[in-house]
Amino acid sequence: MTKASKTLIALLSGATALTALPAMAQTTLTVARGVDADGLDPQQVSTTQSSQITNLIFDTLVTLDASGVAHPGLAESWEISDDNLSYAFSIREGITCHDGSDFTAEDVVFTFDRALDPETRNPRLGQYGPIENVSAEDNVVTVTMSEPYGPFMSYLGSFSIPMICQSSVTADGDFEPVGTGPFELVEWSRNDHITLSANDAYQNYNPLIENPGRPHIDELRLVVIPEAVARMAALRSGEVDLAEPSLEEAALLDADPAFKVYSADLSGQQVLTAFTWKIPPLDNPDVRRAIGMGLDRDAYAMIAYEGLVNPTTCPAAPGLIGVDLEKCAEWGVSYDPDAAREILEGLGYTQDNPLEVNLSVHALPGFDQMHQMMQQNLSEIGVQAELETREVAAFFDHMSQENMRTEGTPVVWTMGYSGVDSDYMTTMWKAPGFVNMGLGGEMDALLDEQRTLTGNARVEKLQEIQQILLEEGYAVPLVSPGWNWLWASSDKIDGFKTGFVASILFNDVQIAE
Amino acid sequence: MLFFVARRLFTAFITILVVVILAGVLIHVVPGDPITAMMAQSGSADAEDIARLTAQYGLDQPIWKQALLYVGNALQGDLGNTIRGGEPVAELLLDRLPNTIALAVAGLGTALVLGIPMGFIAAVNRGRAADFAVMLIAILGVSIPGFWMGLTFIQVFSLHLGWFPVAGTSARNIVLPALTLGVVHSALVARMTRSALVDILNEDYIRTARARGLRERQVLLVHAMRPAMISVVTVVGLVFAHLLGGQVITENVFSWNGIGRLAIQAMLQRDYPLVQGFIVIFATSIVLVTTMLDLLYGLLDPRVRRR
Repeated sequence: MTKASKTLIALLSGATALTALPAMAQTTLTVARGVDADGLDPQQVSTTQSSQITNLIFDTLVTLDASGVAHPGLAESWEISDDNLSYAFSIREGITCHDGSDFTAEDVVFTFDRALDPETRNPRLGQYGPIENVSAEDNVVTVTMSEPYGPFMSYLGSFSIPMICQSSVTADGDFEPVGTGPFELVEWSRNDHITLSANDAYQNYNPLIENPGRPHIDELRLVVIPEAVARMAALRSGEVDLAEPSLEEAALLDADPAFKVYSADLSGQQVLTAFTWKIPPLDNPDVRRAIGMGLDRDAYAMIAYEGLVNPTTCPAAPGLIGVDLEKCAEWGVSYDPDAAREILEGLGYTQDNPLEVNLSVHALPGFDQMHQMMQQNLSEIGVQAELETREVAAFFDHMSQENMRTEGTPVVWTMGYSGVDSDYMTTMWKAPGFVNMGLGGEMDALLDEQRTLTGNARVEKLQEIQQILLEEGYAVPLVSPGWNWLWASSDKIDGFKTGFVASILFNDVQIAE
Repeated sequence: MLFFVARRLFTAFITILVVVILAGVLIHVVPGDPITAMMAQSGSADAEDIARLTAQYGLDQPIWKQALLYVGNALQGDLGNTIRGGEPVAELLLDRLPNTIALAVAGLGTALVLGIPMGFIAAVNRGRAADFAVMLIAILGVSIPGFWMGLTFIQVFSLHLGWFPVAGTSARNIVLPALTLGVVHSALVARMTRSALVDILNEDYIRTARARGLRERQVLLVHAMRPAMISVVTVVGLVFAHLLGGQVITENVFSWNGIGRLAIQAMLQRDYPLVQGFIVIFATSIVLVTTMLDLLYGLLDPRVRRR
């Protein structure tokens, strides 16, 4: 062969390769988040940012539609006994784990056994409920409870109780994430990036997702860019396709046709005001309600949160079971500074002799401005609020102590909470409660009772609980959602969705040329 | 000389020991605990779960007991596992230490490249406009927060000019954080160079050199600059140590995958073992660098050995 012919063949081969390149090119979606996952073991992680990732690797037994109703997932059907103590799930056949092994009823039993084992150190153990036994016969898994547990199906459909394949745990006990989810793990460099690849064998049963098979994108790369300004620069420069924006940037991007902004409407998140109700005069429901009347939640939503959130009225987030915003509006207080001033004046608190409180809060996007507005609102009704801002860990430590006090300067404080079921009110309000905010007494009994009920009976009980929280002024709901709920992408990205508890769904994502 | 080396090494060991003890004790003084911080974000902050996990991680033990256990393990080289994710702390930090050192070296190099010519220009033009201008630039460099400078560089060089990526850990990514660190630290190098050079330019031998008719360029670069560099070299260790610690914020701004960035996240999460591990490894690095420099000075200058 002459040198010229060799050159010609080489050029032709090169041209062929170049022609074939577009068809072979990998579609990679790069996503920037501010915080990385803590871990990838779904039975050990605690943060939303971690579960956002594990939710892509692991599927759930049941799925939830937008109204929170359970649909088949890895379980193709189920039966619940009349006494609500036994759940029999028929596990779908033909599902494979990322390592190619079949996903079976044994994997489900393994998942529950491991999650319930104290050695696992599962921070979400409380959400599994009073499980007595989990067993499998053929493809049917039976979960037996010691007492009825109403929120079980909600948690089962959320990222709190994902199903892991047995091969996730290696012979020496290490955890390597192997699930049945839409993506499988390629690489994780803690605090830097996570790379996932599409699961070719994926079958989708989640009603929030349209794509029935493998994700359209081939690779998902989640990078950590802690600074919001840098994250936005990366989005605007095209270095990343999707990013968590700062609140200020989100409003700008929303108005720019080259970008899209997404809000996690199913997040089950909200922000509320609470009180150190053991410290006088906040032990008086009238004082708490008067303070609630002074808070202009519409203005917080429109100004502090740039109109990207909605004012809310219930102690649990909109969309969750038992949450009826109209009923809550009747039970709770609405913005009425004149009435608030009148009540407080009747108790001796005036502009010249204001009620002195600490307004204790933690630093989060949007929070600062809202709290400054709250401070101003309170000063208009005769309440002088000293604003104290702490970073998250120090704040919760501080509130744990403040909520125990029975004397001294009373504290008005704000917090955000999220979940897939209104049952999270149990975590918060049942004594001792989250950061010792629990009420005890009748409230504890009601919260325990709602867990044992299902259907309408549970809805009614949850509403009774919310009625007390609002009428007694223990909680003043402000806005929903509240934090970690915004995403922004270039307009080339289509099909990105958010699910329950700010989960992120990439199955339908397509990138335009 | 042997006694000098032994004394320096013993001092280094004692310093590291004190750091390990302080890391074991002081972490508990910071308000907030790892389990409450973790559970606050879990959506399941059940009081029973918090109590159970607190006990399982041994955080319900008296502080002295926890500190003693930590110090005992740390002295045997076991820095424990992270509370979040359960990864071995030593492995996690040592994986990222080379990135931190690389950035510190790049930052130091930039500081020298910028600082030495600035100091030279200022010294040669002492009392003139150029001197004031250079020193003003140096003061500005040291006064502008690195955080702000980094974000400005991202806006200009990454977003508008598109020259460098915004985030990541690679050879291309190192330019902007190194420039940020370099600009900030060049001020110290510039002032050191200027001060050393000004002193030397007043020396008799410089006057003699000029009187002998040597060209000014030769006088400045060979006879003045060379001895001035000895003084500059003494601040290199100081700047390097400062860079190792001072780049925590810069790593965060540029998403540089070093130990500083890991430490910030660990601190916010109150991940005690990781924060303690960072303190120990960071302090050990500084002690080793300064000890090595001490030994080097001792080797070069006999007066140091006798002190």
